[in-house]
Amino acid sequence: MWPLTERSTNLAVGLSITIVVLFVSALLIVVIGGSAPSLISNPGLYFNSVWNPDAQSYGVGALLFGTTAVTVIALCIAVPIGIITAIGVSEYTRGVVRVVLKSVLELLAGVPSIIYGLIGVVFLGEWIKYAFSLSSGSTIFTAGILVGVMVLPGIISLTDDALQSVPKQYRDSAKGLGMYRFEILLRVVFPMAKNTIISSILLVLGRALGETMAVMLVVGGLDVIPDNWLNVFHSGQTLTSKIGRELAEASFGSPHFEALMVLALLLMVITVCITAVGSYFMKPQRGRYE
Amino acid sequence: MSRRVINALSGGVVFLTVSLSALLVFGIVGVIVFNGVGSVNFSFISEASQQFGAAGGIVYQLVGSLLLVAGTGLLTVPLALSVAIFWSEYARSIPVKRVIQMTLYVLNGVPSIIFGIFALVFFVNLLGVGISWGVGVIVLSMMILPTVSLAGYQTITAIPIQYRESAQALGFSRALLIWHVLIPQGIQGVITGLIIGLVRAVGETASILFVATAFSGAGIPLSLREPVATLPTHILALAQQATNPVALQNAWGSALVLMTIVLVLSGIAFIFRLQFSKRSVV
Repeated sequence: MWPLTERSTNLAVGLSITIVVLFVSALLIVVIGGSAPSLISNPGLYFNSVWNPDAQSYGVGALLFGTTAVTVIALCIAVPIGIITAIGVSEYTRGVVRVVLKSVLELLAGVPSIIYGLIGVVFLGEWIKYAFSLSSGSTIFTAGILVGVMVLPGIISLTDDALQSVPKQYRDSAKGLGMYRFEILLRVVFPMAKNTIISSILLVLGRALGETMAVMLVVGGLDVIPDNWLNVFHSGQTLTSKIGRELAEASFGSPHFEALMVLALLLMVITVCITAVGSYFMKPQRGRYE
Repeated sequence: MSRRVINALSGGVVFLTVSLSALLVFGIVGVIVFNGVGSVNFSFISEASQQFGAAGGIVYQLVGSLLLVAGTGLLTVPLALSVAIFWSEYARSIPVKRVIQMTLYVLNGVPSIIFGIFALVFFVNLLGVGISWGVGVIVLSMMILPTVSLAGYQTITAIPIQYRESAQALGFSRALLIWHVLIPQGIQGVITGLIIGLVRAVGETASILFVATAFSGAGIPLSLREPVATLPTHILALAQQATNPVALQNAWGSALVLMTIVLVLSGIAFIFRLQFSKRSVV
């Protein structure tokens, strides 16, 4: 039969693989090639904190600050809540309750970024404005909370997998020694699941750094580093929101466009490194201790 | 404090936190339904939008989103199957497998806005394709490729060894093994992964904002090279004029329609996963 020969099969597989390889190479070449030459020849243009295309200044300082602040706030919210929720799902429930609870929590993962943005603009921003008596609800803090909620399901499901990968015998033996549930968790389950939990935090960190639409709608769009670094009730800008906001207005080939490519390169290097390290340590865990 | 008290307290903290997370889910879904349900009716999903979305319905946005999802699905299945088969059957050495795995992880870690800026430079400016939904399909399918290939790879490597041994005993070539054993057995994993990927694709905004979508004036595309309107870009445009109550009402309506698509897809993926786990026990 025609499609089933060795040769045509090899051809089909080879063709698909070539398409994927070409796409990935093009992605790397375009992002690196579009930014590296100007970054190397004129680094002073980018390593400052004033972003003003009209004055030919494209400092990334304020954007890096915004990205870091938003991500730190997001993780401070998502990591503790996510890990404790995962403990609840994995260790305190079983059977039907567990399946239902897990499915309900996974619903959160499907909500598109833009809908979080809409909720952020209409509700969260307004609440924060009134709660802290601010002139505007579009702040770094708002964006941080929103991203925290967005990455929460990721932490929950990855941590749950990590906890589930610790075999039941260990829990039973610990229980047989007279340990309480919290002691089993802290002294037996957690040490064994530690590496996977850390790598899941890294994977989620990569997601948080790259979040665009929701952040763009609520972060405020002000390219400054506040005098007091801890003042997060202040409008800011992140790498992603900057690209999202200005890509449409920068003409291809202009210094402005090149500067946006530099932002893209920075963002890609950071997220890809974090994701790669996180994925690398995310070894298949099941059966490892048996 | 005695250990017993700590145990009870920690149980309480866990219970409260799980309740908080569950409340968050119901709160978010509730907000979307509560705000959106008032504006969704038959004319909303069957009429074209007017005045940049501030009036009228969302039929072209709905059609655009569904077209993108359908196109992405059609393109992703053969690509992901090939990657999975190449990974499990053709790649013999550990370093090659490592490279494939690492490439997929990297692709998975690239933020969607980077796909957007890349596609704008490569397809729209360098290749001169213009803003077209065909580019959107390519970008979205590359974004979900890691998820789908990984699901396919895991299913294919989980096929019991007896199947391969039987195929070998019958004198199957590698091609026959692929077409008659691996693809029929592995397709379910690919489809499950695909639906999960499509949930992500249908809500995707940043990656296709500059290359495949138009805010207004886009109708049903007559060729792959025309832009489409999509639900997420529509919501974005409306959210930016949040002071206009009618526009906001339409934004919530669009959000509810988008969320419904997401829920239906997630439900299908859930059923597939249940059936699959049943079958692998047998």
